[in-house]
Amino acid sequence: MPTVSEIRSVHEAAEVLALAAAEGRRVSIGRPGGDVVVSTERLDQVLEHEAGDLTAIVEAGVRVRDLNERLAEHGQMLALDPPGNPTIGACVAANLSGPRRHRYGTARDLVIGVTVVLGDGTIASSGGKVVKNVAGYDLGKLFCGSEGRLGLIARVALRLHPRPESERTLSVPVDWASDAQRKARAILTAPLAPSAVDVHWPGRLAVLFEGGRRSVEEQLAAARDLVGGAEDSGALWEEAAARQGQARGRVRFPPGALAGTLARLEQAVVRVSAGVAHVPSGVVSRRDPAAVALVERIRAEFDPQGVLV
Amino acid sequence: MVLAGDLRRLLPPGAVIDRPEQLKTYECDGLTGHRVVPSLVVLPETTEQVQAVVRECHAAGVPFVARGAGTGLSGGALPVADGVVISVARMNRILEVDVAGERVVVEPGVTNLQVTEAVAGDGLFYAPDPSSQQVCTIGGNVAENSGGAHCLKYGFTVNHVTGLVVVLPDGEVVRLGGKSLESPGPDLLGAFVGSEGTLGIATEITLRVLPRPECVRTVLAAFDSTDAAGAAVSGIVAARILPAAVEMMDRLTIEAAEAAVHPGYPDAAALLLVELDGCIPQVEEDLAAVESICRSCGSWEIRVAADAQERALLWKGRKSAFAAMGRVANDYYVQDGVVPRTKLPAVLRRIAELEREYGLRVGNVFHAGDGNLHPLVLYDSRTEGEPERARQLAEAILEACIDAGGSLTGEHGIGVDKVCSMPLLFGADDLDAMQRLRRAFDPAGLCNPGKVLPTPRLCGEVPGPYRAHPLEKAGLADRF
Repeated sequence: MPTVSEIRSVHEAAEVLALAAAEGRRVSIGRPGGDVVVSTERLDQVLEHEAGDLTAIVEAGVRVRDLNERLAEHGQMLALDPPGNPTIGACVAANLSGPRRHRYGTARDLVIGVTVVLGDGTIASSGGKVVKNVAGYDLGKLFCGSEGRLGLIARVALRLHPRPESERTLSVPVDWASDAQRKARAILTAPLAPSAVDVHWPGRLAVLFEGGRRSVEEQLAAARDLVGGAEDSGALWEEAAARQGQARGRVRFPPGALAGTLARLEQAVVRVSAGVAHVPSGVVSRRDPAAVALVERIRAEFDPQGVLV
Repeated sequence: MVLAGDLRRLLPPGAVIDRPEQLKTYECDGLTGHRVVPSLVVLPETTEQVQAVVRECHAAGVPFVARGAGTGLSGGALPVADGVVISVARMNRILEVDVAGERVVVEPGVTNLQVTEAVAGDGLFYAPDPSSQQVCTIGGNVAENSGGAHCLKYGFTVNHVTGLVVVLPDGEVVRLGGKSLESPGPDLLGAFVGSEGTLGIATEITLRVLPRPECVRTVLAAFDSTDAAGAAVSGIVAARILPAAVEMMDRLTIEAAEAAVHPGYPDAAALLLVELDGCIPQVEEDLAAVESICRSCGSWEIRVAADAQERALLWKGRKSAFAAMGRVANDYYVQDGVVPRTKLPAVLRRIAELEREYGLRVGNVFHAGDGNLHPLVLYDSRTEGEPERARQLAEAILEACIDAGGSLTGEHGIGVDKVCSMPLLFGADDLDAMQRLRRAFDPAGLCNPGKVLPTPRLCGEVPGPYRAHPLEKAGLADRF
């Protein structure tokens, strides 16, 4: 059985990794295998929240829901809505997101700085706590989707958004793939500013509007005039989150090819503008061998002794 | 240069430049204080030709520097004396316009504005809009992660690039991302954008384009102080409004703009320019709120542009502010620093102190919404010692930005200009991690060497006084 190491500080994480390297033991960060499993469960402090700057600095073990409860007191939010209640570190490492990525993007678009611990125990920061910043390489983005293979994400600086005054959902039945594409395009090309445009396949197009009360109401009415459907209580997003949470595969597609993609899928939660469908069973994604080789070279630099599983 | 003959065989006629008088055209970019004449300039037309050139350079151990339109402001395209400049000027085709998928695929030499022009008829636009957008290339935008006035709402180049074909520094070609926003594994694309041409050369770029907003409203508000204007910015943020742009000008820049292009601005100590866009109901709601916030913060004149022509007039002075400085000073130095928005008043006061200390004037025109300052340090190069004093003042401003929790550069990049200032913001281990990333891409160190990361050869052995990184400070403050 692997030992579990609950780290409480960035420096403890560095010690665990350096020690493992010295003892020839292998470390797992949210991955199967390894002699030592690092947990960030106790690395859970919100270090800074500057409401006026719409930024926060948190430790990686802080959970999305806990952070958002705190931010709600100031009328703000971290605009990440992945299924469940993952840690911020997991959101970054596994590049998790939810329906509102249509408007706000994913972790890569919201992370403005990171402190990471590399495989050899080196503590490195990049970015900062300002949104607009082009000084140096963006390790924060590099660690998005790194799945614990480049190092441990310890601290994350985040861009926040104002919490909308009002949010309302339109549910539109779609009968077949081309119907779904037609209706989704109608919403996307209309003078509306939805926060989410999903196809929950088979069955419906789901559109979320957020903002000022009157603006949201007018947009909802305009969208209904355009594609029909009825207002939903918002419960459909919970259902979609449950389905996405159970999904084991992601199908990528050019957003213009929605109909053709849906026609090939039995069941999916589809993020239309992003060109990604969350599907129940695993999909082997083709990756450019040159990109895979490049990741291995980065791994060799960041984790020279191969400590990370 | 020995390589010239080999490269001529690989490239179309006229694509290799080695005559000294022609090479001189490429000696600098927008940072004209640094000049180096390259040994050779090549003008490839395809990914394969870029690959062939990079392979030759790699085999011969010759450094190379990619170049777009040469409008960069930090010397990112500054040549290396014994190296090759790879210009993407001839790679200027729009390869695909996918209206239904809201994507455009371009070669790196296509200009920023051409992307919007290619899709305008379909009601779409390309969001990043650096002020050089008529001439600057997408390749250069990718290298620098360019922003623009509207990045407050829309983000930077990195938020709008979905796919890249990159020729790596050893000549290997790698495809990152595509038309989908989802990509498995570490976000190499995100790390590449903004790497200032040091990790490879992008030869094909897939961009996301967006539906043009239904309406745009621009508000100009006059204030008696930058503090009052700054309070209005805070008020707008607190009211949960996300404008497309929030710009501020101080008295000196207003006067200069007035003298140069006569935009008819009010005679104020500070002007705020707020642009709102989106669907009509939301913009109307926000517009009413912005006007009332500005008034409650002491604005005594508010103008709202109703159409494109009036909007252009309000923007005219702001857009000409840099050039207009020529009216009030012989020379000026443009600084590019960032501070957290709430620290703007304090940093502006510090800049005013520094003006007195150094006996030079500083004009402030900046992207107030995201705390990105562009102080214009005025000096006269004919006066003994003034250029050096201006440089020192500009550096002191940068230190003030970093002390306030900000950054060395918001949009102009590190390049050669600020490479030796990197240790002010990053510690040795931070820089070491960045160096490791660079080595993974470019083990031979041939791709745009001498940019972004400081080396002892460039900056001497002793780095500047290190200040704890903002994230580190946050961590330390809360450790029990």
